[in-house]
Amino acid sequence: MKKTLALLLVLTMVFALFSSQAAFAADEITLDVIICQYGPNTNEWFLGKGMNGTNFVDKFEAENPGIKLNLDVVSWNDVYTEVDTRIANNNAPDILNIDVFANYANEGLLLPVKDYCPDDLFEDFFPQFIAQSVIDDTVWAVPDLASARALFYNVDMLNEVGVEVPTTWAELEDVSQAIIDYYNGDVYPWGIDMTTDEGQAAFAYYTWGNGGGFVDADGNWAVNSAENVEGINFALGLIQKGFTNPNPATQTRYDLQDMFAAGKMAMVIAPNQLPTYVADKGGNINMATAGIPANEGKTGSSVGVMDRVMAFRDDSAPDQAARNEAIGKFLKFFYDPENYVGWVSMEGFLPAVNSAVEALVASDPSFAAWLDVLGTCQFYPAAKAEWDQVKQGVIAAEQAALTGADIQTELDALQAALVG
Amino acid sequence: MKNPDLVGPNRRALLFVILGIALSLILLSMPLYSFDACVYTKKSPNTFVGDEKYRSVRAEVEQVADGYRAQGMACEIGEDVLERVNSKGETTSLITFTVTERMSRSPLSLLGKGFAASKVLALMLGLLALALAAELAGCVGGMDLVQFRLDTRRAALRNLAALSLLLALLLVPVFILMNNYAFSRQIGLYTAGLLEEGKEALYTRMDALLFEGRMGAEIEKALGGLTASHSGLLWMLMPAMLVSLLAAVQLRYGSIQSSAMKAALYFFVVVVCLVTLYPYYVMTVTAFRSNAETLDMYFLHLFPTKWIWSNLSDIIHRGVPRYLLNSLLVAGGATVLAMLCGIPAAFAMARMKFWGKKAFLGFVIMSQMFSPVVLLIGISQLMNTLHLNDSVLGLMLINAAFNQAFAIWLLRGTFVSISPEMEQAAMIDGCGTVGALTRVLIPMAAPGIVTALIFVFINAWNEYTIATVLISTASNRPITVGITQFSSFNMIEWQYLFAASLVATIPVVLLFMSIEKHLTSGLTSGGVKG
Amino acid sequence: MNSPLNRSRWTPYLWLMPSIILIAVFVIFPILIVFKLSFSEISKAGVIGGYVGFQNYKDAVNLPAFKTVMLNTFWWVVSVVGVSTVLGFVIAMVFNQKFRGRKIARAILVFPWATSLVIQASVWNYIIKYEYGSLNSVLLNLGIIKQAINWRSSYQIEFIWECGVGIFVTVPFVAFCVLSGLQSIDDSYYEAATVDGAGFWDKLFRITLPMVRPSLTVSTVLNIIYVFNSFPIVYTMTKGAPANKTDTMITYLYMLSFYERKKGPATALSVIGFLILCACAGLYMITVMRKEEAEQ
Repeated sequence: MKKTLALLLVLTMVFALFSSQAAFAADEITLDVIICQYGPNTNEWFLGKGMNGTNFVDKFEAENPGIKLNLDVVSWNDVYTEVDTRIANNNAPDILNIDVFANYANEGLLLPVKDYCPDDLFEDFFPQFIAQSVIDDTVWAVPDLASARALFYNVDMLNEVGVEVPTTWAELEDVSQAIIDYYNGDVYPWGIDMTTDEGQAAFAYYTWGNGGGFVDADGNWAVNSAENVEGINFALGLIQKGFTNPNPATQTRYDLQDMFAAGKMAMVIAPNQLPTYVADKGGNINMATAGIPANEGKTGSSVGVMDRVMAFRDDSAPDQAARNEAIGKFLKFFYDPENYVGWVSMEGFLPAVNSAVEALVASDPSFAAWLDVLGTCQFYPAAKAEWDQVKQGVIAAEQAALTGADIQTELDALQAALVG
Repeated sequence: MKNPDLVGPNRRALLFVILGIALSLILLSMPLYSFDACVYTKKSPNTFVGDEKYRSVRAEVEQVADGYRAQGMACEIGEDVLERVNSKGETTSLITFTVTERMSRSPLSLLGKGFAASKVLALMLGLLALALAAELAGCVGGMDLVQFRLDTRRAALRNLAALSLLLALLLVPVFILMNNYAFSRQIGLYTAGLLEEGKEALYTRMDALLFEGRMGAEIEKALGGLTASHSGLLWMLMPAMLVSLLAAVQLRYGSIQSSAMKAALYFFVVVVCLVTLYPYYVMTVTAFRSNAETLDMYFLHLFPTKWIWSNLSDIIHRGVPRYLLNSLLVAGGATVLAMLCGIPAAFAMARMKFWGKKAFLGFVIMSQMFSPVVLLIGISQLMNTLHLNDSVLGLMLINAAFNQAFAIWLLRGTFVSISPEMEQAAMIDGCGTVGALTRVLIPMAAPGIVTALIFVFINAWNEYTIATVLISTASNRPITVGITQFSSFNMIEWQYLFAASLVATIPVVLLFMSIEKHLTSGLTSGGVKG
Repeated sequence: MNSPLNRSRWTPYLWLMPSIILIAVFVIFPILIVFKLSFSEISKAGVIGGYVGFQNYKDAVNLPAFKTVMLNTFWWVVSVVGVSTVLGFVIAMVFNQKFRGRKIARAILVFPWATSLVIQASVWNYIIKYEYGSLNSVLLNLGIIKQAINWRSSYQIEFIWECGVGIFVTVPFVAFCVLSGLQSIDDSYYEAATVDGAGFWDKLFRITLPMVRPSLTVSTVLNIIYVFNSFPIVYTMTKGAPANKTDTMITYLYMLSFYERKKGPATALSVIGFLILCACAGLYMITVMRKEEAEQ
């Protein structure tokens, strides 16, 4: 009796296992898609009911018979590990939405965009965005969406303290001091995120604002330039003087945004969708934007962040042409203004295609100003093969400096590892 | 039974009871609370002493102060000038004007003012009075009685006295902390506009306490910059009452040692249990908060203002049932497999003699130590080769294998402790070895087997590291990995994280509690034979 | 023992077979793979190249964080195992007394043991958040503090918190091991000692400690291994940040392999870790086997 029971149990489990991995009919094409989780609505949009009562997958499958989507929404925390594991397991996704691409391209894992992207769609992308995804004259990925960073400040707070929004580093220190004095330290004047999540952004803000950056004028790595060291030291100085959030090594930009939304932080560098974010959190902050402060005599540039969509090779696919066509159909559907505008505006991002601009500006006039900002943005040098290493390297250097190490030494070591 | 030698010590004890209570009363009537009612604050940036802005602001402040003085308050105007030279070489200045009044109040003055702590204080005083009365009544004419032969009336009275003193003692921290909360935090929250509930009531009480009700509608301004503090002497209430309590215990039992030991024991147990339960309180409470409340930077509520039960239904749409099913498959499958392989092996180890038994035993003991974590890379490589990566089946096999040694070891211990005679009898009756095992030994060893079973199940259920590495598809994740989607860096949804955690934790905790009795015996008979 | 069960020479091995196969494939094989990999060249994407001798080991030892991580691991293991052994022992002594509610108290004590480490670590991570954590909330609302306290103001303190959580989850295991030892002590020992006029400390050192020593040894060795292998606490609370200053060997191994993608040194580190474990395991095996022999 007990034996039969145990056997039954095992059988049910085995059955449940295999039934969960259902097989698909042979004449259908199934595309494995990984989408990053941009916010609380991403899941609903792609898999739930967030797209006017239906979702992306259902609508796509209804409009494109013969193509099935196996779509996963993955959080940014896990996506790199997940993609790596899947590549190592020979189980790479067909379509991937992520920020980086150079490593995948250099290891020969990606399909060139021209192999699958319909021409009319390709023409539709902003050319300066496409240019960010070129290695050896080949385009390896298309832009998914973008955001531009700017300085957001709490207008009421700055008025109360009687200061103007800072444009230079020196002014930033003055304003910070005034805020500290006025609020007895209850409000953080400034936010810095040097976490493993986005510490590279901090590096960009303070080096670009000092005429430095990740690369020199010729596009070669120059992480240890004098300008960079000065810039990072300035940021570290802000932390030491108590002008910032207390734990920059573990407080992410989202922690900072939460503090800003709660009225505990006066100024923060954040992407254009901050107002939406604050409203979602129930915050009621009278905020305005300004340029990111730069060192005296230097011009700050706003920071653009762009994510990408790319397609992986799959040499085992029986019909490559059909697969490419299916990927093309996916992109067509994705960037169809009817779908794309909703997707981009849902999380408050900026679009990557011309055809979406009109509809977006019509829905929200503030988009127009941001689109101008986007035109002057600097981007991370993500097309360079060592970008992953540089990104991790500068974060590690910043964090080491936070614990007392000399930033010059740290950056020298990173530079040596890059060129040596 | 009487013992005249006891009169001296008993008198002394009674004296201490009275002394402690008296000291407590004295402390309570001392002005230990001081209030700096900063009734008005004006911060004026970019203002310099003597300039036009300064004069106008100063005049404004004087006017306010005069208004308060008219109400009979002794106000002082404070002026704090903070000047700095900024990066451009300009001097900036921030002047803070304050109108303050300093007051002291005794704890007793809270009586009848309607504060939450007032009732506590009244109760405390009542208990002290009761203790005193009961002790005196219990002692009159019985000072020479031997404690363990007291008549019931006296014993009951002395018990009552000790108990009252214990309760009064426990109320001291309650009283002090309640006041701390009301005077500093609650008023701070009201004045910052973060809390509305109960504001009127508390303000009226504060008015009564500090200004004899003179302020009326002005009280809101008057409490604007209140800083309240109490002297450290207030805490001396505890030793004072402790003296009384110890003396009362002495009067009741003749010695304080065993009672003190018992009290210390309970105190320790309560502390251990509270600390242990604390994370579970946090988990439960946070699971039913709204997102905004989980990120509340003003720490307004210990419990959710509104219990959001829909958090539970929300996580259903976020894949949690799927993750739970996967966990169940992994843990259940691993347990069944580990038992199917482990029971025969343990049986052979316990009952049979063969070459290499000792070596195998050594190997089993040693491989309990092998953790899959340190072998991560090897395991992921192996699973690739076997095409078991990213599958529930693979996870199940790994968990079964790594718990195998432990299961064998536990089961072997159980089998060894059961005498082989019954099986031998069964076999003589015509059962085969398998029959003897399934019909005789397994039922007899059931408690041990259940323990091993649950151990393996819980280990597999709680496993996280291997699953993070092996599983890449969302739909194959076990719950431990699944919940991490709620703590992604761009949006931590604590409420969902903990709602899912709660669902994942309750069944295993219950399972474990069910074998708690066998835990100790299971550990001794198996892996950790003493 | 000449049991009738012992029918043929091969029967015992047949009974052991399923177990041996399971262990061989899923435990022994990965060990061999890790050893092989540690002497091979591995590319970033995980492509395995040829034999490179001890290069991976050299790389591993020369990693800038290697020393910090090893030192952290040492402190992690020593503090967690040490403190939880002492605490667990004390708690077991108390919980072995007779008092009202003992059953409930013991059931509560089981909680942390039965809860997944990721969940424990997440909860504690929330508890000690400076801006909105529960600890500040509780202390403020009980009137114990007047200002929120930054509970993780430096990485050293964060590491101490991680050790604290490690202790929190380890104590129940020790306590129950010691309890099982305590229950095996016959009351007559204590009675005899009391008659001889022995005090509390005499009894503790002359009777209790020697009698529970075996349980204590076993729980300590097991804990050394569990704690050494513990991953979720550090990973959830700090991810080793800043700059690997709070990493232990296991979390570092993971970050090295899956975040920095330096698979070569990671496998070498894996082997080093495995050898450390083997040394502990060997020690444990000898103790247990000796006891087994003594009992027979």
